[in-house]
Amino acid sequence: MNGLINLSSQTLERAPKVRNFRVPAGVISAVVALAVWQFVTVVGPFDNTSIPTATATVVTFFELLGQGSTYVALWETFQMAAIGFVIAVVIALPLGTLIGLSKFAFRSTKFTFDFFKVIPPIVIIPITILVFGPSIQMGVFLVAFSIVFALAIQTAYGIRDADVVLLETMRCYGLGTIAQIRYARIPSAAPFIAVGIRISVAAAIVVSVVAGLIGGAPGLGRAILLAQAGGLNELTFALVLLLGIVGIVISRIVIWSQGRLLFWVPR
Amino acid sequence: MNFSKRLLVILIGAWLPIALISAWWVSSADSENPYFPPLSIIWDRFIELWVSDQFMINVVPSLRNLAVGFGLACFIGIIGGSLLGGSKSLGRYFEPFIDFQRSIPAVATVPIFIVIFGLDAEMRIAAITFAASMPILIATIQGVRATDTTVIETATVFRLSRSQILWRVRLPAAMPLIFSGLQVGLQIAFVVTIASEYLGAGFGIGAFTLIAADSFLILDAWTGVILMGLLGYAINIIFDVVERFSLRWYIGQKKLA
Repeated sequence: MNGLINLSSQTLERAPKVRNFRVPAGVISAVVALAVWQFVTVVGPFDNTSIPTATATVVTFFELLGQGSTYVALWETFQMAAIGFVIAVVIALPLGTLIGLSKFAFRSTKFTFDFFKVIPPIVIIPITILVFGPSIQMGVFLVAFSIVFALAIQTAYGIRDADVVLLETMRCYGLGTIAQIRYARIPSAAPFIAVGIRISVAAAIVVSVVAGLIGGAPGLGRAILLAQAGGLNELTFALVLLLGIVGIVISRIVIWSQGRLLFWVPR
Repeated sequence: MNFSKRLLVILIGAWLPIALISAWWVSSADSENPYFPPLSIIWDRFIELWVSDQFMINVVPSLRNLAVGFGLACFIGIIGGSLLGGSKSLGRYFEPFIDFQRSIPAVATVPIFIVIFGLDAEMRIAAITFAASMPILIATIQGVRATDTTVIETATVFRLSRSQILWRVRLPAAMPLIFSGLQVGLQIAFVVTIASEYLGAGFGIGAFTLIAADSFLILDAWTGVILMGLLGYAINIIFDVVERFSLRWYIGQKKLA
């Protein structure tokens, strides 16, 4: 989460062995963890501290599920993530394609884009608070900013990766630039873009939450901020628990849908 | 690459940032917009603020927390990862936690640490260590498990003990992967360092900048953002240099292959 977004994490994203845990072991671990948590907060050494018990947290968690405001916050977080993501994709794919087509453009932009890619979006939050205030726009801007550079670089790499022999063959047959882009460049860029998109979706959700948590933009992040600042410790823990479960569900959906949508991309 | 070619590559990479900064400088020169002050004034304020004892007061503690937290994370991640990677049954019981933790944004764990530890420096270091150790742990598990079986069988034939195989064979072979985990971990450590200062008011470069923004000290906020951006970038560069030095055997190997 690298910076919140970093393409070098793709090696980690591919983790085949870590992901395929067996469910029974997972259930056992979860039960043991909850039991240990309950024990240390009821019996000691963390009894009568600010740390809530496991049961209190779980009860609060289920109360949260019954409240309409939880779903409003979830929706706001998704909304900021989705709009920012779409804006970033609409900018990054054409831009990355153009950059990838020219060696000069690729080399010229490399340093600048790398710089912005490496800088975590959390750094610019104070300025976005000044300019946008704690609003949806702020969340959208942060999400788009955090994704756009990495995705453009990734697209440009993919465009440049096209098979030289294939390109020259096409040139010999008199196919123009447009046809070369359509039939050689874009298919070669697709797997690169697919990896970029998958990482971007995860980053969009994270940044959308962080925009709320730090900057006060609406959604789950702000709910956590308010709970923690108000000393509602059970609620803070329950919201983070919710966030973890939502995160797992989203990453499953992304992996599942990617297999369906990008069926021609070898994995 | 010879010298003149290298110079050309640097020049091609450098013209755009120079052009962008010049454009910002010129276009903001007589800016009336309170949120976007002239870059020349931001620059003056930057020098005034950060080339002074403010650097010792606000930046050095942040960097110290980052260093301590990341150092602990390296230790925990690599030791824990070798244990979990070496033992399949142990791994099976711990992986659900890793999976769950991975799906929580690192920054969102900071409120949990505030509830547990309060707003002290220990909270920051604990939050940094926890968040940064995860990618290192995951990378180490993968790296240790992915060691070439021929190499391990050879080591077994030479009657190396299990711990010898782990320390002398598996861990060195896992180094390239571990380093990619370290890089992600360092970036997360930087993010959590700043986030913990945003959320737990006090000193530190993050707290300074956010408080400046909240009090409409726009110039100060800009200098803080620029300084944090430069620090984030510098940390990455330093990591790259260390990685290239530590993995030079591996890079050389890849070149041969």
